[in-house]
Amino acid sequence: MQAITVENLSKTFRVKRKEKGMRGSIKAILHPQTEEIRAVNGVSFSVDEGEMLAFIGPNGAGKSTTIKMLTGILYPDGGRVEVLGIDPMKKRKQLAYRIGTVFGQKEQLWTHLTPYDNFRFFGAIYDLSERETEERIAELSERFELNAFIDTPVRNLSLGQRIRCEIVASLIHKPKVLFLDEPTIGLDPVVKENVRELIKQMNREEHTTIFLTSHDVGDIEKLCRRIIIVNDGQIVLDDSVERLKSHYQDKMAADVYARSQESGMAEKYEEAPNISLEEILVDIYRSEEDG
Amino acid sequence: MGKYGDKSVSMNIKGVRFRPWRKYAVIYRSVLMENLQYAANIAMGFFSYFVFIFIFIKLWGYMYRTPGELIAGYTKEQMIWYVMMTEMMFFGSNAASVAGEVARDIRSGNIAYLMNKPYHYTLYILSRYTGEWSIRLPMYALLAVVIGTVMVGPLPHFRLTAVPAMAVCVVLGLTIHAVFKLCISLFSFWIEDATPFQWLYDKLILVVGVMFPVEIFPKALQPLLKMTPIYTVCYGPAKLIVDFSPEKCLEILAAQILYLTVGCVLMSLIYRKGVRKLYVNGG
Amino acid sequence: MLTAAKNQLRVCLLSMKYNMMREMVNKVTFLTNVCFMVLNNASILVQWIILFRLREDVGGYTFREILFLWGLTAASFGLSHILFARAFSLSDLIIRGKLDSYLVQPKNVLVSVLTSSTDISAIGDFLYGVALVCACRPGVGGFFLFLLFTVTGTAIFTAFALLLGSLSFWFVRMDILQGQMVMGAVSFATYPDGIFEGISRFLLYFIVPVGMAVWYPVHVIVSFHAGMFFAVLGYACALSVTAVAVFYRGLKRYASGNLMEARM
Repeated sequence: MQAITVENLSKTFRVKRKEKGMRGSIKAILHPQTEEIRAVNGVSFSVDEGEMLAFIGPNGAGKSTTIKMLTGILYPDGGRVEVLGIDPMKKRKQLAYRIGTVFGQKEQLWTHLTPYDNFRFFGAIYDLSERETEERIAELSERFELNAFIDTPVRNLSLGQRIRCEIVASLIHKPKVLFLDEPTIGLDPVVKENVRELIKQMNREEHTTIFLTSHDVGDIEKLCRRIIIVNDGQIVLDDSVERLKSHYQDKMAADVYARSQESGMAEKYEEAPNISLEEILVDIYRSEEDG
Repeated sequence: MGKYGDKSVSMNIKGVRFRPWRKYAVIYRSVLMENLQYAANIAMGFFSYFVFIFIFIKLWGYMYRTPGELIAGYTKEQMIWYVMMTEMMFFGSNAASVAGEVARDIRSGNIAYLMNKPYHYTLYILSRYTGEWSIRLPMYALLAVVIGTVMVGPLPHFRLTAVPAMAVCVVLGLTIHAVFKLCISLFSFWIEDATPFQWLYDKLILVVGVMFPVEIFPKALQPLLKMTPIYTVCYGPAKLIVDFSPEKCLEILAAQILYLTVGCVLMSLIYRKGVRKLYVNGG
Repeated sequence: MLTAAKNQLRVCLLSMKYNMMREMVNKVTFLTNVCFMVLNNASILVQWIILFRLREDVGGYTFREILFLWGLTAASFGLSHILFARAFSLSDLIIRGKLDSYLVQPKNVLVSVLTSSTDISAIGDFLYGVALVCACRPGVGGFFLFLLFTVTGTAIFTAFALLLGSLSFWFVRMDILQGQMVMGAVSFATYPDGIFEGISRFLLYFIVPVGMAVWYPVHVIVSFHAGMFFAVLGYACALSVTAVAVFYRGLKRYASGNLMEARM
């Protein structure tokens, strides 16, 4: 069963162009010039139920635009999207009951309230009865160890505790798919590890599909088996993290071999150095820039 | 060059020309440049000004029954011009935004970073304020003149030669107003939200200074009102524009200088006390 | 349908409760804000005392009618800012692309947005308005009319703000203009309609919704007039429907991403 199906998805923005200075402003009013930016350009992929997928790419590659289209915030210009069998454009509300979203840079919690009150609010938003909400809060706070600070106002929590509450708040209604946009941004290594553990646990225990964007290589390596890299609105790679690595390892080895051949030192063939995912990503992003 | 730059106090310390006012001139100039870019946004404020003046034109149009009638010694034209001038000063200076900035700086703890820079925080704020009104005030003055000549009619006995003296009084009035508003903002060192006090001060000025000239109030109250900041902040300058006389000008100037001195002393006292409290208790 | 409405109401009430709790974290600040707003409004009475010293009526209004006028404006303005404060800063929300978080919730976007914040000083406005009208002894019937017109006034002020704010979906600069137009309307609403004549009077009745929000209601409270009464009700409904329709038209534009220039 597929949780997300995307076929040939496209989105073009029309952006007003304005030259600098006063004259530019006047010109922009008299002869408005627009420029088309293809934010997402013919993207197709699918995600299986229960899968953890990393959706990555350099800034401005079209990641956020894609997430927004998957959650129904933005309408696509072309192509087809289905999340849990629902078209987000047509049935945004219905879809909202079944997905969760965490935007690392945007807080959705009320900071003057305790996590407990916040969770109750989200319970109400997702139409859970008082009892269901209570049970779910008890279950989640037990499982993710929130009990120590569940009655402390959110503004008095540490950043790590806060993001854990953010994530738990988005889980109140047992979403089948969770969209995580940079969930570990600005966190210290220990907290990052905690958050990753939480996500993994949820995926394991509730079989939640995870759609993750992140610039943090650790997130990707520790959580996801599969990786999709987008650049300039197009998918440049869709593969398992492991294969990507071994592929690069081979390529590196071949490069080293070729170089050693050239220099006529074939007998001094060396093992290629171990290459990290970070380096691979830099290499891919850069080669895209050049191309 | 900036306002302070021209008159900068020059000192000679070991052969190096040391000009302590220069930095404030630079602050002033950068705010000026910044605000120039927002001229269009400032112009949007014209709408509120126009609404206010429009209401007063209609209101006084109703209150004066016969042409040439005098109310509290003012003709209808003078009465409306009076409101236009006082409102011009407040729309044109936007002291509220500067005062709000100070309150926010204190509340957010941002002041700790601003305090440690090598300038006096209150003077820094006043330089910014000056940079703001240098753009706004001329824009509003122009608007007022246009509205006035088109919808009200010119002021009787207006003397162009007196404009420089009027301008000095207006500028002094604006500055005193800002100093008082800053004093109130500085209360934020002790209380969480000083804005309610700003409302009261603003309303006091609005009701007994901006809307009506002092002469319209009962005789017994008038001397009392002339003692309040209202006299130096709005009544004085506006009265001078509507009905100029050199003696009145000198009297107002003297009062303004006195008020400015007192206000500044008060401001630096409150500021110093507040900072000391900050050091003791932390942000 | 009914359960959906019930659930929506539950979220709204919770949202309002939490808004209030946020504002009341500091009790002293809360109380001073409310009390000073009352004082602040009361100080304007000085203006009217002065004006009534000069003439026996202002724009055909007696002092008592001015108090009704002020009471109704303050109560309507207050109530709209207590319940739907966000309508008055909607532009900002739209221009900064902050509607996203409401769009991923399975609830009515407009209702969630409108009830997502509150303005505590507005409680002072509201209380002042009610107190002022009570002080005039309007009688039981008059008082009920006042309450009803507070509701229609709230609807009209909110709808007006919503309408202007929704224009931000098309025009970026609306954030400044929205605030100015609303405050302009409130300024007009605190003066009697008798001082305006001709075109300005027409505009204030039909374009800037002051006439229907405040002036007609005051006339009806002073002496009942069925035509005016129904005109106010009709106008409040019509303006609200228009505002909601414009908001949703704009929201489609938001979802099509044509605001990206503002959001990037």
